[in-house]
Amino acid sequence: MAGLAGCSGGGGGGDGGNELELLHAWSSGDGNAAIEALIEGFQEEHPDVEFAEEPVNGAARSNLDQVVLNKLQANDPPSTFQTWPGKTLEKFDGAFEDIEGDVWDEDLKENYLAGPQEQAQLNGTYVTVPLNIHRINNLFYNTAVLDEAGVDPASLSSASDVVDACATIDENTDAVPFAQQTSGAWSTVQLWETILLGQAGIDGYEAFINGNGNRDEVEAALQSVADLREYYPSDSSSISFTEANTMVMEGNAAFIHQGDWAAGAYSNSDEFNYGEDWNQVSYPGTSGSYLLNMDSFPYMANNPSPEATKEFLSYCGSAEGQVLFNEKKGSIPPRSDADVSALNDFQQDQFADFNDASNQPPSIQHGLAVRPAIKTNITNAFSGFLEDYDAAATADALIASFT
Amino acid sequence: MRNPLSIMRRWLGSRRLRAEGGRTAVRSILDRDSVRAAPFWLPPFLFVGLFIYGAIFWNIILSLTDFQGIGVPDYSALDFENYVIAFFGGTPSWSSLTVPSIWNSAWNTVVLMVSFSVVCLILGLLLAILVDQEIRFENTFRTIYLLPMSLSFVVTAKFWLYMYNVDTGLVNILLGAVGLGPVGIVQNPDLKLAAVTFALIWQFSGYAMIVYLAGLRAIPTSHFEAARVDGASTIRMYWHVIIPQLRTATVSALVVLTVFSLKAFDFLFSMYGGYQPGPSADILATRMVREAYANGNWAYGSAIAVILFIMALAIVAPYIYTQYRRGEL
Repeated sequence: MAGLAGCSGGGGGGDGGNELELLHAWSSGDGNAAIEALIEGFQEEHPDVEFAEEPVNGAARSNLDQVVLNKLQANDPPSTFQTWPGKTLEKFDGAFEDIEGDVWDEDLKENYLAGPQEQAQLNGTYVTVPLNIHRINNLFYNTAVLDEAGVDPASLSSASDVVDACATIDENTDAVPFAQQTSGAWSTVQLWETILLGQAGIDGYEAFINGNGNRDEVEAALQSVADLREYYPSDSSSISFTEANTMVMEGNAAFIHQGDWAAGAYSNSDEFNYGEDWNQVSYPGTSGSYLLNMDSFPYMANNPSPEATKEFLSYCGSAEGQVLFNEKKGSIPPRSDADVSALNDFQQDQFADFNDASNQPPSIQHGLAVRPAIKTNITNAFSGFLEDYDAAATADALIASFT
Repeated sequence: MRNPLSIMRRWLGSRRLRAEGGRTAVRSILDRDSVRAAPFWLPPFLFVGLFIYGAIFWNIILSLTDFQGIGVPDYSALDFENYVIAFFGGTPSWSSLTVPSIWNSAWNTVVLMVSFSVVCLILGLLLAILVDQEIRFENTFRTIYLLPMSLSFVVTAKFWLYMYNVDTGLVNILLGAVGLGPVGIVQNPDLKLAAVTFALIWQFSGYAMIVYLAGLRAIPTSHFEAARVDGASTIRMYWHVIIPQLRTATVSALVVLTVFSLKAFDFLFSMYGGYQPGPSADILATRMVREAYANGNWAYGSAIAVILFIMALAIVAPYIYTQYRRGEL
């Protein structure tokens, strides 16, 4: 498939190049619906632009990165492709072109908040357009289970309060207090980064992602994760995130910490309604922060369709395009001026939280905060942590990830 | 391989005889069987040469460069730095980060490769001997034992994830029944690698059985009868008479099983949702993909690939060589 894309892209490059080669991994589900809506909206405004759109099979981001890297090696870049912005861009350093002015005009700069705007840059140059934001620091819960246990989620103000609440739930109900999967490391990395943000504050968090983390703070956050682990499902290492999420939907678990894509499953269910059956709080301790996970479309140097790509990226940066995309994707638009009335109640609340947040730090797990080689080291450290929950040793490994 | 090679040799030798020169020599070359058969053997010969041996050779060269990130590898300064880093760890010239050595994953790879191949062979042999007893429903048993091999690693990894489930997994129910469980297996550092190996053995011992069964069927009945007449017990008969004749079957099964054990990557990838299965189950294949595709350290990834290649060769080559010497290949 990718090979075919390469051929057609190479052929299209010669004749004026109005065919836009867009690579993405959204080959099914809400992601696919979202990209379709975005492209449809764009083509209504620009009927002359054709797409050689190629979902890269396998639907995994890592496969997509491989395809793009291979194409770059062959000097056959796509017009643009789905990528995490932020430090992930370093993996493709040298393959992008500055789009400040052309795409990143005053309008975009005014309406993107500081956090997302910073993530659109590689070494200070605007190269990509963030399209959506998933929040990482939500704590979702099943209302009925918390009522039964007598836990008031609004009263929780720190990570250790969550541990105490889990103890109460464990005592008072049959439900699993904290639904979590531990076969893969990613859920634990995002839980830890959320707790670190809450405990060490935005300054401590930023110090860590810049390689100057305080070892004791890192270890304390790991210890909080280890404490929570007592309240995971006993078979956490055999289940997937979807199964953990279903436990919450069916009232077999109380809390789940996940990115807000967890809510996508809730809104697909008629009997599980926002505000009544489930609700969420910012993870206790992190209420002023909106921990970012974003997708974006960068502008590639040596572009096969320069004008069309810039038009498309401008559309990705428009409130209209972002609402069309995020309505289907379940995330929120990065533009703070977007009219979100078309989105569902939960998304609207998220968007309000986003605009009220005092900071928008980048996620480590989701590729924004640290460059790929460091992220590999961090995930390695956590794959060891999942084996023995040794907070001290893992803290050493995490600090050493940057050296 | 041997055939086109010997043809080439003969053809090269024949060039020396071209002294008489002229059209006859050209005609005699064109008339040769080897030349006339070229459309059949030449394309595969070139393709295999280019895509298999050429790629291996290129990979070796690549492992001597500092190729990293995007761009073009620089072949002008070749050195063994990547191998030094692989063996001793340290901060290579192409990175600002410390890169750990590969010993942990190399050791896991050896343990996996050896235990998987040996147990598969033993189990396969036992199954083959049992199925060979002219039992009823022989074909059915054969199919049942072989079936797991036809499943993809993604399916078997998810299946074993369920089998090892602490609450509902069959393995833990059985362990519980004999008073040993339940135990966490999937993320247990002491059991992880063993659990993966066990699942792979389940999947591939049927293959060893089929190979051995073919080997057993090829042994003339008279050998069994002669051993019986001489008064050998069943165990002695198999140990001294039958098993020594299964050497070829063992070699061919071993080669394939070794290759399968290298493919454990797919299994780990599916089981642990990525190429980071944790230190106690990390193998060279996962490490290699991490370095190459997560970090973009192409040259270092190539060096690990070469080490993996040499390890596989070191296990398989001695057997192939003995077989070659015996004239059985």
